[in-house]
Amino acid sequence: MASISDIALVTQVAVFHNKQAFDQLVRKYQSPVRRFFLNQTLGDEQLSDDLAQETFIKAYVNITKFRGMSSFSTWLMRIAYNVFYDQVRSKHQTDDIEESPTVMRQTAQTGDSNIKMDVHAAMALLKPDERTCITLQLIDGYPIDEISKITGIAENTVKSHLKRGKDKMANYLRENGYGG
Amino acid sequence: MEDKNDILLKQLFEQAAQQQIEDNGFTERVMMNLPEVKESRVRCYTRLWTMFCVVMAILIFWLISGWDMIEGMMTGGKHMLINTIEVFMLTAPTTEIEINPWTVVLLLGFVLVFLPYQTFRKLSATL
Repeated sequence: MASISDIALVTQVAVFHNKQAFDQLVRKYQSPVRRFFLNQTLGDEQLSDDLAQETFIKAYVNITKFRGMSSFSTWLMRIAYNVFYDQVRSKHQTDDIEESPTVMRQTAQTGDSNIKMDVHAAMALLKPDERTCITLQLIDGYPIDEISKITGIAENTVKSHLKRGKDKMANYLRENGYGG
Repeated sequence: MEDKNDILLKQLFEQAAQQQIEDNGFTERVMMNLPEVKESRVRCYTRLWTMFCVVMAILIFWLISGWDMIEGMMTGGKHMLINTIEVFMLTAPTTEIEINPWTVVLLLGFVLVFLPYQTFRKLSATL
């Protein structure tokens, strides 16, 4: 269930079009939403911010459709997931994102550590759905049922994606000297 | 039980999980780009119609002395309820009511299984 403060803010936005209340929601959730996109795009900050902005605008326009049956963050992440996959589908860039040299260059320019670059390189080996499930669990800390709600993928399929994704990443990382 | 892969990945993702991204003007950019949400004409008419109905209801209630009517109904209802209880208390011990066990099972099944299941299904579907 959604937290009371979130429901109060959403009500203010939905009923009175209170932009101050929406400002508070954006401030509260900008970090997890931008981090989600940053991981899906393997570190492309500009694209992540554009997609995050689109997510919040869609949330604002459709806020009356939020029923409070799940937490606001789950609802928001579901919009983020749809925005990302709409973008991937519309530009047919799934393969480009995974192998784009600009993405890797941007990651290097932002001064990320070697570990982070290796983790991003390992994530690039994953299929988009595997990457989404892995980041939602390991970075955002969502349980499997919440991941299923966000992505619309059946729980058993989420478990399969997690298992396969973890195996691929762990193998890659071990080959590169991690984990003894 | 966690396997070796889980432990390795948890260690590597620990730092990423704690990472907080600074706002750096992101919220302002979002707020500047928010579209103006215009209320649809239908919704506006609905709101006006509701207000009109409420005003009319209050007016009619005041004109026909609604309080007196409610008071009368409450008094009459109270007497009726007392009478019914009195009649039931007098006749209940002598009345034989045949209860069909299948009807009871069906009723219990409806209330305890079907209704909760339907409620759960509808609540899940609204997400």
